[in-house]
Amino acid sequence: MREKIKFGLNVCLAQVFLLAQPVEFNRDVRPILSDRCFACHGPDAGNRKAGLRLDVETEAKKRLGKVYERISSTNLALRMPPQYAGHAALPAKDIDVLKRWIDQGAPWQPHWSFVAPKKPVSHSSIDGFVTSARNAPARPETLLRRVYLDLTGLPPSPAEVDAFALDPNYERVVDRLLASPEHAERMAARWLDGARYADTNGYQSDGVRDMWRWRDWVIDAYKANMPFDRFTIEQIAGDLLPNATLPQKIATGFHRNHRTNAEGGIVEEEFRVEYVADRVETTSTVWLGLTMGCTRCHDHKYDPLRQRDFYSMFAFFNNVPERGLVYNFGNDEPMIKAPTAEMATRLAELDRKLEAAEADWAGLQPRLAREQKKWEKMIRGDWAVGRGLVYSNVDTLRFDGKSAVDAGDKAKFDYMSPYSFSVWIKPESGDGAILSRNEDYWEGEGYGLYLKNGNIHFVATRRYTDISLRLETVDRVKLGDWQHVAFTYDGKRKGKGVHIWIDGKPAAIKTTFDELTYPFGPKVPFRIGGGGGLRFQGEIQRVKVFDRSLTEEESLSTGVVETLEELARVPAANRTAAQQAKLHLAFVETGISADERAVLSVLDTAQAERDKYYASIPTVMVMEEGPKRQAYILKRGAYDAQGEPVEAATPGMLQPMKPEWPRNRLGLAYWLVDKENPLTARVQVNRLWQMFFGQGLVKTVEDFGSQGEWPVHMELLDWLAVEFMERGWDLRAMEKLIVMSETYRQSSTASPEMWQRDPENRLLARGPRVRLAAPFVRDQALAASGLLVKKVGGPPVKPYQPPGLWQELGGGGYKEDKGEGLYRRSMYTYWKRTVGPPMLLNFDAATREGCTVRETRTNTPLQALNLMNDVAFLEAARRMGERMMREGSGDPASRIAYGWKLVLGRQPNQQEAAAALRAYERFLGRYRGDGAAAEAYLKTGESGRDLTLNTAELAAMATVASLILNLDEAVTKE
Amino acid sequence: MNLSMTRRHFFGRAGIGAAALQSLLGAETLPHFAPKAKRVIYLFQSGGPSQMELFDYKPRLVDKYKTELPESVRMGQRLTGMSATQSTFPVVPSRFKFARHGQGGAWVSELLPHTAGIVDKIAIVKSVFTEAINHDPAVTFLQTGSQIAGRPSMGSWAVYGLGAEAKNLPGFVVMISPGQGTGGQPLYDRLWGSGFLPTRYQGVKFRSVGDPVLYLRDPEGFSREDRRAYLDTLGELNQARARELGDPEIATRIAQYEMAFQMQASVPELVDLSKEPAAIVDSYGPDARKAGTFAYNCLMARRLAERGVRFIQLYHRDWDHHGGLQNGLPKRCKETDQPAAALVNDLAQRGMLDDTLVLWGGEFGRTVYCQGRLTDDDYGRDHHPRCFTMWMAGGGVKPGMVLGETDDYCYNITADPLHVHDLQATILHLMGVDHTRLTYRFAGRYFRLTDVHGTVAKKLLV
Repeated sequence: MREKIKFGLNVCLAQVFLLAQPVEFNRDVRPILSDRCFACHGPDAGNRKAGLRLDVETEAKKRLGKVYERISSTNLALRMPPQYAGHAALPAKDIDVLKRWIDQGAPWQPHWSFVAPKKPVSHSSIDGFVTSARNAPARPETLLRRVYLDLTGLPPSPAEVDAFALDPNYERVVDRLLASPEHAERMAARWLDGARYADTNGYQSDGVRDMWRWRDWVIDAYKANMPFDRFTIEQIAGDLLPNATLPQKIATGFHRNHRTNAEGGIVEEEFRVEYVADRVETTSTVWLGLTMGCTRCHDHKYDPLRQRDFYSMFAFFNNVPERGLVYNFGNDEPMIKAPTAEMATRLAELDRKLEAAEADWAGLQPRLAREQKKWEKMIRGDWAVGRGLVYSNVDTLRFDGKSAVDAGDKAKFDYMSPYSFSVWIKPESGDGAILSRNEDYWEGEGYGLYLKNGNIHFVATRRYTDISLRLETVDRVKLGDWQHVAFTYDGKRKGKGVHIWIDGKPAAIKTTFDELTYPFGPKVPFRIGGGGGLRFQGEIQRVKVFDRSLTEEESLSTGVVETLEELARVPAANRTAAQQAKLHLAFVETGISADERAVLSVLDTAQAERDKYYASIPTVMVMEEGPKRQAYILKRGAYDAQGEPVEAATPGMLQPMKPEWPRNRLGLAYWLVDKENPLTARVQVNRLWQMFFGQGLVKTVEDFGSQGEWPVHMELLDWLAVEFMERGWDLRAMEKLIVMSETYRQSSTASPEMWQRDPENRLLARGPRVRLAAPFVRDQALAASGLLVKKVGGPPVKPYQPPGLWQELGGGGYKEDKGEGLYRRSMYTYWKRTVGPPMLLNFDAATREGCTVRETRTNTPLQALNLMNDVAFLEAARRMGERMMREGSGDPASRIAYGWKLVLGRQPNQQEAAAALRAYERFLGRYRGDGAAAEAYLKTGESGRDLTLNTAELAAMATVASLILNLDEAVTKE
Repeated sequence: MNLSMTRRHFFGRAGIGAAALQSLLGAETLPHFAPKAKRVIYLFQSGGPSQMELFDYKPRLVDKYKTELPESVRMGQRLTGMSATQSTFPVVPSRFKFARHGQGGAWVSELLPHTAGIVDKIAIVKSVFTEAINHDPAVTFLQTGSQIAGRPSMGSWAVYGLGAEAKNLPGFVVMISPGQGTGGQPLYDRLWGSGFLPTRYQGVKFRSVGDPVLYLRDPEGFSREDRRAYLDTLGELNQARARELGDPEIATRIAQYEMAFQMQASVPELVDLSKEPAAIVDSYGPDARKAGTFAYNCLMARRLAERGVRFIQLYHRDWDHHGGLQNGLPKRCKETDQPAAALVNDLAQRGMLDDTLVLWGGEFGRTVYCQGRLTDDDYGRDHHPRCFTMWMAGGGVKPGMVLGETDDYCYNITADPLHVHDLQATILHLMGVDHTRLTYRFAGRYFRLTDVHGTVAKKLLV
């Protein structure tokens, strides 16, 4: 409703200028029809009343006379919009507009934003299109701070302020800022809101994910000023480009940033559908400025978008080989390893080292083979795999189908720990437990190796019905015979990581349930012959448990009962593979020379180092094209109400796809940045305008449909859009165009009358004056205090946060970083979706639960408390106070003036200087009188204070610094 | 019309909300009709309390113990992935006793003796149902009218529409207590978030650790007088700037800093129980002096209500009894039963119950069949969206009534179904708001709490 008020006002404003001009359909008439009539007489066939539609020229014109009669009727039973449905009458001025329009012959126009923009010829610069009387130029220092905050999100340093005063070459400053990494960060920070980027999944227990490599891709793209068409293609379909590079694949993380659900018990398809729908809605908001979400359940009520269009777009994003129920403790498939350039170099180095070590070891093999033969002639005794052995029982145990052997608190393994078993069994029944750490019923929590129907089963369970890994051998064991069973699990929570050998032969395994997604805690001791509600019948012998996944060779060796001595006597040709394995392993472990061992140890170390490093390389979730999943129109948007099948296609009301484009995401990406696309360029330049002026030329940046706002400066928008495309989608060039304009460089000072008349500055008759976006409120304080750590990219960081915030909601503990992590730019702050960073949310940051492109700003007491009392701002004030004392010259007044410069980029005027000095003196007196209070006040924050400075003076100066950071001007771009 | 004026109303002072403000432009008048409830206290029981053990008495289930849930009852209803693959669905009746209470003779479980004592003051609704089957979507649905994140919460709608009377406190306050078991299901900021409404309408969480309101407390070594002097200087500097630039937003900021200063006094006063009579505090139970408990939060709720806060939302966690119901459920009841009843009584004795609406309930019910292992000393129940019980009191709700019926299996509703959107429509109705007319335009359409659904439950009204 508030939107509506302002909207109405803008129409009024526009009318001041356009009074007495002929009625124009798109500007004057369509908004009325759309807002008041289309819901029942518009594109939505399902809800259309009386067969009348007013969104189509031919249809509408047939009955305009009647329409006018009904809207102007004083008979409440006849009047439209209908009284009986609770609708108010059209205001007289709207009725008048419609009357004048009909009198003019009802000239029709297609909706403006659905027609590709043409470059207006009337002007060729921003300033040419903005016709209102311009304000005086902003003062140089004001302009400098404005452009710094806009392009980098940081204020100019005092040195930069001074340099600009000496050499006010504005364009040079602009060029320098545009090329800076801080600019790339600033642009990326803004892109993250639309991309719903976060460090957690966002449903229920809100587990972690790692998408920062995608975030850094965005920063890199802005750093390189990647043209927007390529920026689009790589994020939507980088994986489908020929010979896609790693960065191009990483770029597709854009559409894996949506929320994902790991809540046990969800219906998978319901949420998989949700993810795909999110991609459609986000794509349409970010690129097209369309509210396609409306068409998920029915035809659009205002725009010519059908429900079919939604699901045709849906089909583009429907083939990702993903799941509805995701892993709660990290990324889910599809994902890739995403090393940074630095990491890739290091990994290649380790690979080379490993290859060299492998070659050295391989080179030794002929010699070793000869030596092994000699060694075999001399060996005595026996040998067995010993590394990782955590339990062993050499006895032969007899089970009667009722008892079990309790082995105590042994073999405590979880879903992410690797382990192996070796055991001999002589079963007399096809059902029984071999080894287990499971409760005593089949569906209990824990793990176990069992016999069922003669097949070997392995089950590891948190909750049997949905969080469990279950598999079985295809073949049965023999009853009444001794058999050796070797089992290994790699600790990667998947059935494919399990291997079973029976009598030295790999057993074929059938995985029946593969959802071991949560840790489990064995609640009972390790048992032989019992568990899972089953008991063994027969004999079990030589139980061995290892806390690692044995290699195949090792596993085979565990089943060999002959001693080395006995094996050596068997002619090599007659030995089984298992026997060979045992001899070979024993030889390598005990029979090789020190030199040879050194070669092996180099190999082992190289392998371990490489493995460890590889494991530390971050992954990122990406888009992949799996086998085609048929898409359907989903009735009422419900996942289980499939209607007609549909194929991938772009909305019919917009330009068609070119025949040469593939009908997949890549084709969609080409279509988005096609020069014929009427929306993409307009929507982008409009959001860019919002970044500089606080709101778009079309204020409804998310909606360019007929319910969207009519742009006051339509021609300017179109000119910018065409210019953008003609300049090769060069975003930086567009930014420069804007900040170099006189319109941007105006003073933001205005008379009370002007504030009254145009509070939102729609007429652009003054410069922008807008509160800083949330991240930059904090970034500025960090910069002014000198605390800011200017490191670009990397994993998220955890700055100060009031304790207990996560625990209270059940979200685990928040562990603040030490040092550097406390002082990075706010775009790197760890974003837990269900409990976002409190300071950023206080200052209206988007929650990242879904795509947000509209900037909003409120002004609340919670923000005041935040700026005054948050440890981050108190520490910044103290450090800023220290800088003022150290870097500002001599007397308190100069020091205070330096503080002004640090944050506001200017000198205080006389009145300000006097007020601040009075405050300084007041607090100096106060803290001189109470040293303990001063000490306590200065303790805030992890960074220690400068002990060379006088305590009372610093406390007073820190207070003044805090005052400066709390000024309205400080949190505002003027 | 000076629109910047709306921006000054962070807490919707003087009882005027932004939507109401619009009435000044002649479009909408709020409240739409005389409200019965001036404020709401919502005692949300997160996790899904079992209706069968608490209110919905099913004596005939005893004969059906361990029998399979018939398909004729389940009727293809989808189950959660937690029990969908269960091999058997054995019926298990409540293992707790029931008795009739009050003049109306409403059945209440032995687990809720204090609630049993107020049955004549409350209306029990046994026929609430929802569409979601898992916690996150279900709680989000109840609190925002949509299963998917992004819509404003009920309290945000209320404050947006009606503003609040509280001068130095937020209009929408949230308090959370964990169950003393495992802690229970997590909660999310979005449950009291403002969605696409301006963020000043979001619920302000009053916390049990640290400052009750984030960043409320001044730093060590910085006194109240220091803050006053600080704000005087800040005000002076901002005023000068306002005169120079003309931006009315600066005046708003000055006012917000003054409001912050007042909150620094009003919030500690709120949580200071020294002037609260001991008998009153004790009536809320032994935990009432312990911050972070449900009892303490109930007492705070009354104090907030007295101070004119419009929407007071409590959450008590840990009702999610998939297993361990037999031991876990009595504990949750013990934590909540006495405080909730005391709150109703306390409001009644102050004459505040008439215009305060109190609600108690979770996001869904629980299944009649056992989930997990059924033993002699334990059982569990899965999520059940098709019916669950809530109670409401005061604020225009008919006291002493029981609404709605479910079948013998407590599986399907047989009379007076109340959909979540109906519940929301009814709450708004009691606050004097027509739920179809409290709307906000965002992304090209008019949104409302009840989407395009919802019918006021007339039977519940006085």
